[in-house]
Amino acid sequence: MSPSGEVVASISSAVAVALVLLACVELGDAAAAVGVYRLIQYDLAGAPLGSRAAALNHHAAAFPLPPGADLSRSALVAPLLDLPLSFLREYLVEKKHLGGLLILLPKKLSDKNGTGNDVDKGQVKGVLAELEKLLLHEEVPYPVYFAFHDDDFDNLLADIRKIATSGQPASATTGGYKLVVPSAEPRKVTSPTISNIQGWLPGLKGEGDTEQLPTIAIVANYDTFGAAPALSVGSDSNGSGVVALLEIARLFSRLYSNPKTRGRYNLLFGLTSGGPYNYNGTSKWLRSFDQRVRESIDYAICLNSVGSWSNDLWMHVSKPPENPYIKKIFEDFSDVSKEMGVSVGIKHKKINVSNPRVAWEHEQFSRFRVTALTLSEMSSPPEFLESTGGLHDTRESTDVDSVIRTAKLVSESLARHIYGLKGRNIDVFAENSSLAINPHYIQSWLDLLSRTPRVAPFLQKNDPFIAALKKELSEHTADVHVQNDALDGMFTFYDATKATLNVYQVASVTFDLLFLLVLGSYLIVLFCFLVITTRGVDDLINIFRRPPSRKLKGA
Amino acid sequence: MTVFHFLNCAFLTFGPHVVYYSATPLSEYDTIGTSVKAAAVYLGTALVKLVCLATFLKVPENDSFDPYQELMKVFIGFIDVAGLYFALTQLTHRNISQNHKFQAVGLGWAFADSVLHRLAPLWIGARGLEFTWEYIFQGIEANANLVMTLSLAALGSLMWLRKNKPRTLVPIIYACALLLATMPSITSYLRRSLEWQTPKVVGFELFSSLVMAFISWQLFSACQRPM
Repeated sequence: MSPSGEVVASISSAVAVALVLLACVELGDAAAAVGVYRLIQYDLAGAPLGSRAAALNHHAAAFPLPPGADLSRSALVAPLLDLPLSFLREYLVEKKHLGGLLILLPKKLSDKNGTGNDVDKGQVKGVLAELEKLLLHEEVPYPVYFAFHDDDFDNLLADIRKIATSGQPASATTGGYKLVVPSAEPRKVTSPTISNIQGWLPGLKGEGDTEQLPTIAIVANYDTFGAAPALSVGSDSNGSGVVALLEIARLFSRLYSNPKTRGRYNLLFGLTSGGPYNYNGTSKWLRSFDQRVRESIDYAICLNSVGSWSNDLWMHVSKPPENPYIKKIFEDFSDVSKEMGVSVGIKHKKINVSNPRVAWEHEQFSRFRVTALTLSEMSSPPEFLESTGGLHDTRESTDVDSVIRTAKLVSESLARHIYGLKGRNIDVFAENSSLAINPHYIQSWLDLLSRTPRVAPFLQKNDPFIAALKKELSEHTADVHVQNDALDGMFTFYDATKATLNVYQVASVTFDLLFLLVLGSYLIVLFCFLVITTRGVDDLINIFRRPPSRKLKGA
Repeated sequence: MTVFHFLNCAFLTFGPHVVYYSATPLSEYDTIGTSVKAAAVYLGTALVKLVCLATFLKVPENDSFDPYQELMKVFIGFIDVAGLYFALTQLTHRNISQNHKFQAVGLGWAFADSVLHRLAPLWIGARGLEFTWEYIFQGIEANANLVMTLSLAALGSLMWLRKNKPRTLVPIIYACALLLATMPSITSYLRRSLEWQTPKVVGFELFSSLVMAFISWQLFSACQRPM
C-alpha cells in the first residue's frame, strides 16, 4: 500500500472500529449509479393514470425472455427499439404484473450533435410517440423509468442475457443483477400554480385621442407535458413559439422606442402556461383582464409549434373565413408569405361551447369574443395531451430557420397592418438592416428552452426559468406582470420525477449457503488437524465421548 | 443475505484464531492473558510504525516503484520484529513452556492484526448489496497471515529465548526470520510493480506461508532434540 494509504488505513482502523460499530453506515457501493427519469403520475378527474409506484428493488431481466418467466418480481430492462409495444399492451390490458420497467432511450436524443440518418430518426420518433400515447393514458401499477442508453447498459444487458441463457430465470436464488431505486412514496404536488407573463408595448396616442388605442396581442404558451416530466423540454411544442414571440417583441420594441416609428396600436405579449390542460392558463389570464382592456383587443395571434416547417404554415380560426376581419388578416399573411416564397393556408374549426376540450389557444380568446387565430405547422388540431412536448420533441426536431421564417412572417404582416403599408413594396425587417431577425438570439433561446423541462405543476412561482422569461420580456416591453393562478382541479400531479438507479451485482442465497458449508468444513478440519498434531488422536476421540467413569463411581 | 455474507467473511477471517486457541493445548493452560498482552504490544507497535511512516516517507506523485521508499518501508517493517521481540522476552508471562509461549504470542499478534486491518472494511463493505470476492480474499489472507505470524514467533523464540542451538542451523534461522519479516514488502511489490491480480497474490501468500511454517516447524523440532 502507499504510505499515505497505510497511514490512513491505520488511523481509520483504530478510530473507526469503535465509531462505525455504533453508527450503522450503509455506503453506496453499487456497480453503477445512473440518473433515471420516472414516468409521470397524475390523476385526471379522479382516475389514476401513469406510473403509480416509484421505489424499485428487483432483479433485472432482459429480452429475449426465457419461456415461462415470471416477471412480477423482476425489473425489465429494454432498449426502446427492442421493446415490442404489443407485449407492453398485453401486459397493461390483462393487468399482468411487472416488477418494474426501465426503458433505454437512444443516446442521440440527448446528443445535440447526433447525426443519425433520417430513417432511424423517423422510426425512433414514431415508436416514442406510440409508447407515450400508450403509457400516458393507462394506469401502470409498477414503476416505469427512462434512462439514456450507453456502454454500461450494453454490458449489463449482455450479462443478463448470458445468465438467462444458462436456463434459470433471474430470481432470489440465482446470481444476477439487482436494480434498486431508493425512493419515498410519491406525494401529491400541493396547489400547482400556473404563471402567465405579460408585457405591453404602448402605442402612440395622438393629441385628441381620448379613447383607448386598439391592441394586438401575440401569445404563446411556454409549458410542456410529456411521459417523462423531467425530460419534457418541448423544443418544438412550444419552445419554438416562445422564441418567435421573444424575437417579435425585440424587433417591435426597437421600432416603438422611437416616437417617430411608434405605431398607433398597443402590442400585448403574453407567455401563458397551462397549455396542455385545455389552455386553462390562457382562460384565467383573459379573465383577469379588465373588460375594457379585453374589448380593445383587435385580434390575437397565438403561436403554437412553428419550429419544423419548410413551406406550409397554417392559420387556424374559429370564426368563418368569410368574416371581414379574418379575411383582412389572412390577406396580410398571404401577401408576405408569397414574397417569402412560402404558403399560408387557412383552416376553420367551429367551437363547441359545451365541449370542454380546447384544441387551440385562440379558442379561449373566441370564448371571450376576441378575434383570434393560431399559427401552427400542424394542419389538424392535436389530441388531448398530444404534441405537448413529449419524449421525441428535443432540440434536434427543431430548426432555427423555421423559427426565423415565422418571426419574419408575423412581424412583417403586423408591421404592414400597423403602419398601413399594404400594397407598397417595403420590407420593414430586411436583412442587414438594424431590424433584421437575429439568428443568434433565436438559436441561444432555443437551446436554453431545449435544456429546460417545463411541466407547469413542477414549476414553482419563483422558479428561475419564469424569472428569466420575465426579465427577458421586461428588456423589450414595459409594464411586465406575472399573474399566478392555481391549476384547474381536474388534474392532480405527483412528484418524484427524477431518481438515481443503483445497479448491484448480487450473489444468490445458494452461493452464501454453499460458502458457509465449505467454511464450516474447513474450520472443522482445521480443528481436528490441530488437535491431532498437538494432543494426539486419542484426545480427539475423547472430545466426543462422554466420560463413562463417573457413572461407575456414583454407583 | 448481505449480513449473511458479512458473517461468512467474519468467520473466515477470525474463525481460525478461535479454532487454534481451542484446539491446541493453549486453552488447557489458559494462556489467554499472554495473547491479550501480545495484542496490546501489537497496537503499540502499529502506532509507532504509523508515526515513523508519516515522518520519513513522502507521498508519491506517481505510482512507480521507488526503491528508496520501498527500502524505507522494509526498515519500518522491522519495527514489527522489534515489537515481537518485546512481547516474547520482556513481558512477564506465567509459567508456561516455551512451546506454548510463542504460540500464544503469535496468536494474539495475528488476531490483533486481523482486527485492526480487516474488521472495519468488512463491516462497512461486506454488508452492502453488491457482491465482490474482495472480502473472501481478505479472509484467506488473514489465514495466511496467522500462519506466518506463528512461524515468525517460533523463529523469534528460537533466536532470543533458546540459548543452545546447533551452530549450523543458526544462519538458516536468521535467514528465514528475515524472509518472514520482509514478507509484507514482497507482497506489496508483487501487487504494485508486477501487477499481480488479487487471487494470484493471495495464492502466493498461502503457499509461502505453508512453506515457511513447514520450515520453521522443522527448525524448531531440530532445535528441540538435544534438550
